Amino acid sequence: MRFLAVCCFLLAAVATAGETRHVLVLYSSHRLLPANLEAEGGLRETIANSTELSAEFLDYPRFEGESYVRILMTFLREKYALRPPAVLVVGGEEALAFLLDHRAQFFPTVPVVHMGVTRSFLRSIPPLPADVVGVPIEYDFSGTIEQALRWHPRARRLVVVTGAASWDREFEARLRGEVSRFQDRATAEFLAGLPTGAVLKRLGELGDDAVVFTPGYFQDGEGRMFAPREAARIMAAAATAPVYGPFNTFLGTGIVGGSMPSFAAMGRQAGLIVNELLDGAAPAAPRLPVIMPTALNVDWRQVRRWGIDENAIPGDAVVHFKALTFLEEHRKEAIIAAAVFLFQAGLITVLLVERRRRRRAELSVRNHRFELAHASRLAMAGGLTGAIAHEINQPLGAILSNADAAELILESGADRRDELREILADIRRDDLRASEVIRRLRALLARHEVERQPFDLNAAASDVAAVLCAEAQRRRVTLEIQPATTAAMLVGDRIQIQQVLLNLVLNALDAVADAPEDRRTVVVSVESDANRIAIAVRDRGHGIAPEHLPQLFDSFFSTKRQGMGLGLSIARTLVEAHGGRIWAEPGPGDGAVFQVEFPAAGATSLPSPGPA
Amino acid sequence: MSAAPLIHVVEDDESLRVALLRLLGAAGFEARGYASAGDFLLQPPPDRPGCLLLDVRLPGPSGLDLQAALRRQGVALPVIFLTGYADVTASVRAMKAGAVDFLAKPVERAALFDALQRALARDAAQRAAREEAERLRARFAALTPRERAIFEGIVAGKPNKRIGDELAIAERTVKLQRAQLMVKLGAGSAAELGRLAERLQHLSE
Repeated sequence: MRFLAVCCFLLAAVATAGETRHVLVLYSSHRLLPANLEAEGGLRETIANSTELSAEFLDYPRFEGESYVRILMTFLREKYALRPPAVLVVGGEEALAFLLDHRAQFFPTVPVVHMGVTRSFLRSIPPLPADVVGVPIEYDFSGTIEQALRWHPRARRLVVVTGAASWDREFEARLRGEVSRFQDRATAEFLAGLPTGAVLKRLGELGDDAVVFTPGYFQDGEGRMFAPREAARIMAAAATAPVYGPFNTFLGTGIVGGSMPSFAAMGRQAGLIVNELLDGAAPAAPRLPVIMPTALNVDWRQVRRWGIDENAIPGDAVVHFKALTFLEEHRKEAIIAAAVFLFQAGLITVLLVERRRRRRAELSVRNHRFELAHASRLAMAGGLTGAIAHEINQPLGAILSNADAAELILESGADRRDELREILADIRRDDLRASEVIRRLRALLARHEVERQPFDLNAAASDVAAVLCAEAQRRRVTLEIQPATTAAMLVGDRIQIQQVLLNLVLNALDAVADAPEDRRTVVVSVESDANRIAIAVRDRGHGIAPEHLPQLFDSFFSTKRQGMGLGLSIARTLVEAHGGRIWAEPGPGDGAVFQVEFPAAGATSLPSPGPA
Repeated sequence: MSAAPLIHVVEDDESLRVALLRLLGAAGFEARGYASAGDFLLQPPPDRPGCLLLDVRLPGPSGLDLQAALRRQGVALPVIFLTGYADVTASVRAMKAGAVDFLAKPVERAALFDALQRALARDAAQRAAREEAERLRARFAALTPRERAIFEGIVAGKPNKRIGDELAIAERTVKLQRAQLMVKLGAGSAAELGRLAERLQHLSE
């Protein structure tokens, strides 16, 4: 653009271009203007580090006039006389013009690279000498305005703001020519050369039917000087309508965007040419692009602010200030994190599923155990058939015989009423006796829902003894029950506990089967104190081999020829389901003692003691 | 000797024992109850016709034990077993040991009385046989040694002449004493004498 210009003076110059090659950049405008800073950044990026870069500027349009130019030129020539540049770079049209005007006195043989010069300017001057080369630039006012109108379809007003400096007036003139293209779309209003305050007030009153375009300005109607970028910033801040501009240095000031060349790219392009010249290429040789490309630049924050349809942003637009989403910013980390997370989640899921499956399996094992417990009760009952039949058939036999006797007495015709009455009483008593046996067996054998009820272990043990006394008698074994002196209240399933007892007592009966007469005794004792309720089943039989003790309660462990090896395993399951434990130890002297121990039910939480 | 049979009931279950005694009494039998094998053995049965109604399962010695003990002691009372649960092993053992029957409780009256009839019949037969053998033994004991030797010769099928030669007596003396011992033994013919000899042989075994 025009704010730049370069001169290279070259005196006899070339000669001393010794080890450190020297490049002199001359800007039209102040070196610290954003556009110049960007361009110089591009230059330095491209030019080798060993190359020394000097920068000067005309400070146009703040300073101008013939004498100023002459003095400046003299100053620069003297300044660089002893360190002549190998290449001159001019930034801006004024700098190019300055150089062309004074080339004869200012390093005439040093090749010149121009940047920031518009094509229209080049057309307006005589053809450049062969050793003055560069890629022209173009500021796309119309493209920017067109884009603005496209993004704001409701806009009917196009407000164009320009300044009062000579450059500003040139922009104004050019713009007045270009806006006519949009007259059927929007009415153009120029705020040209007004005091900044007036401009801002006007901009602050705009509605959503307006869009603003401005190249910024160097000077306002009151003579205040601005960097165009700063002018754009205050305008964007004040405007109640979207503001567009043609320079990429405006991005970030609050403007929406525009079709813009890149000053940094311009600097890099110039740097490339400089490099080639320094390497000794003939100035005409580089094949150069016809023009610096422009690109649609847009500030994402403004897109959001003004509600521009995101889909209307072309794919090749350069979007600035779009806060990258977490994914965009840390894609790799995100992928890794996501992978780790997914893996963990998967792992957790698998573990949960496993756990669930295991719990289900455990539950089903538990259920099966209870099923098995029931089956095992039935099996035990099967083994007791003889004893059970005996117990039931005794009273039945008595009933039948009594009935027969009564019948015979009646047939005899004798008056023996008292005897008949006695017989009937006996029949009733025996009937009840038989049904009691059946009730006990039913209670023990019926499939039932597992209960948790308080019950007295003493009563439970007595019931088991009643069921087993016939069997014990059949086997000629004395079965002795020693109940606890106080109620032994346990909360749980009475039948399951009775099954445990039944199992232990039957085992004990087996154990003493071959013992001599005086040792054929099985003692079941119940003890109850504040902390525990314990049952012990003692026998004086063959005892347990020490090596069998650890496996005793394992499934399918049996030392009996016909044993399935499930009884004690089931017993342990049932005991543990009641929070108790079961173990075996050698009896005092001989035989074995099976101990079952339960934590005492909190006496306070139980109903007053008494059999359930 | 009283002809009325006496039935012994050994049953530990009191109510059943009482019921059975009642039934037997109502049917006109004389019966006596015992709670265990020991009780029965402590009161030796009077020498009367009768039988034993015996529970298999008893506290202490079982019914089967009692049966064996009675056999050893030569008490020939027929035994009817009662059982609460007909287990095959026990019934086979009991029948082999000569039980009249093996009845499952509850016992039907008809079955019980039928078994009782058979038991009493067997007892009567046994008694009759025993009495006859006694008679025979007494008669045989009345023979003189010479008559007993001649009897053995006759039973062995030897002719009178040979018996006389062996005993160094005349054949006529053999004939005379033969007629005498037939009268003493109550036998009408030589064939009858042979049968008597067989039975005597049987008794002495």
